[in-house]
Amino acid sequence: MRISRTWMTLGATAFALPLALVSADYASRAADHLDPPTRTDKDFDPTPDVPADIADVFAWYTPTSIVIVLTFAGPQPGNMPPTYDRDVLYTINISNAGARTDPEFQIRFRFGFDGQSPGVQFTGVPGTTGPIEGPVQTVLQRDGVKAIAGVFDDPFFFDLLGFRETRSTGTLAIRNTRDFFDGQNDTSVVIEIPRSAVLNGTNPLDIWAQTARFGGQL
Amino acid sequence: MRPALPLLALPVALAALGACSNDGPTAAPRPGPVESTPTPTPSPTATGTSFDVTRCLNQQVAPGVSVANLVIPDTVKLDVTKPNGFPNGRGLNDPVIDITLNVLFLDLTKHPATLLASLPLDPPGNEVKTLSDFPYLAPANGNPPMPPAGGTNFNFRTDPPSAYVSVDRMGMPAVATALISSAQKNAYNDSTPADDVAGKFTGDIVHTLTGLTNALADDFQRLGLTMCATPV
Repeated sequence: MRISRTWMTLGATAFALPLALVSADYASRAADHLDPPTRTDKDFDPTPDVPADIADVFAWYTPTSIVIVLTFAGPQPGNMPPTYDRDVLYTINISNAGARTDPEFQIRFRFGFDGQSPGVQFTGVPGTTGPIEGPVQTVLQRDGVKAIAGVFDDPFFFDLLGFRETRSTGTLAIRNTRDFFDGQNDTSVVIEIPRSAVLNGTNPLDIWAQTARFGGQL
Repeated sequence: MRPALPLLALPVALAALGACSNDGPTAAPRPGPVESTPTPTPSPTATGTSFDVTRCLNQQVAPGVSVANLVIPDTVKLDVTKPNGFPNGRGLNDPVIDITLNVLFLDLTKHPATLLASLPLDPPGNEVKTLSDFPYLAPANGNPPMPPAGGTNFNFRTDPPSAYVSVDRMGMPAVATALISSAQKNAYNDSTPADDVAGKFTGDIVHTLTGLTNALADDFQRLGLTMCATPV
C-alpha cells in the first residue's frame, strides 16, 4: 500500500520559470524548475509531481571537502510547508574516473516518517560505512560527512518577468533589479563530503541528479 | 586584456534593460491565476535572417573546453585544480544565466564570457546572504509551517531503484529547460548523460538553439553585440 504523502505542497506555485528566453514550446523556465512540464508543472499536468521536480544542482569544493546541493519542490512562498514525499527516490550521481557518464558513486536519499515527523535517509555516500539518517532540518553526521534536508531559501536569481516581456514583445527587457525568486523557498538537501572520499587524483568530477517515483508517475 | 564591449553599446544595453517596466527593485509580483487550458507561448518576432549555430557550440570557453562540451553531457563539471565558479562547478551565487546566455549567443573572440554578468543583465546575486559554512543555504523565507520535529523510527522505503519510475534529471542549468524541445522533454529526462554523449539529443539542441538565435539576433545586433552564430 502506498503511504499517503505528508508535508508536501502540490501546486503551491502557479508560474513557470525561465531560461528559455523565447521558447515557443512553453512558458519560459529557469534552471530546471517545473521541467519536464508535462510531469511537474500544473499548467500542463493536472497532477504535477512537485516533490520530484528538481530545481537546481550546485557543486563546489572547499580546501577539505566537496559540497553538493540539490534543491527541489519549488520555488514556493514562505508560508508554504516543506515537501517530504516517501515515494520519491532522489539520486545524486558522481563520476570521477573513466567515462564521465558512468557514475562511480550514487548517493540516494529518501524520506520516511515516524508518526508525523519526517526523517531523511542517505545511502551510498562516498566514504561512509552505512546509511546516514535522522530527522529533517537537522545536521546529520557520519564518517566525516555532513548532510541535511530541509526548507531553505531558493538561491536561484533571475528576472522572470523581464524574460516574459522579452518573449512577448521581442525586445530585450530584462532588469537586473528584479529577482523573481526573491522571498521564495525550496526543499533542499546539502551534503558535504571529505575530498579524499570523492576525488580520484586530479580527475574532474561530473555530477548530475535524477528523481524517480515509486509506483509510477503521478 | 579583456575584449571590449563597444563603448556606445553599453549605455544602450543598460537603457534597454531599465526602460521596460515601472516595477520597483524589490520582489517581483506573483503571476496571476493559472489558466485551466495552457496557452502556447507566443514566439517573438524573428529577424528574418537564419543563422548557423555550429560556431557557437564549437567556441572555446576554456582551453580545450567548448560550449558543446559544457552542454553535452548534461552534468555539472567540477575540476578542483581550477578555481571554483561556473561553469567550473556551480556556486550558490554564480550568475549562471548570464554566463549561459553569453556563451550560447555571443562571439567569445569579441566578448568575454563574463560580459553579460558584468553588466549585469540579470540580478547580480541572491537577495539574501548565503552562509559561509554548512549548510551554506540561507534560512527559509517567511514562516513555513513545519512538521513535528524529532523521530527515530522512520518508515523509509526499502524498494530497489528498479521499483521507481523516472521523473526528472538535471546537471547543467537550463539545458533541459531551454535547449530541449517540448517533443523531446520527457525522453530527455528519462535518458542519461551517456545518451547525451551518444548524440541522442544533439540534433534537438542544435535545432532549438538555432530557433532561439534567429529570434534574438535583432536584439543582440541592436545592442552592438557580436553573435557567435553565422548567417546562412
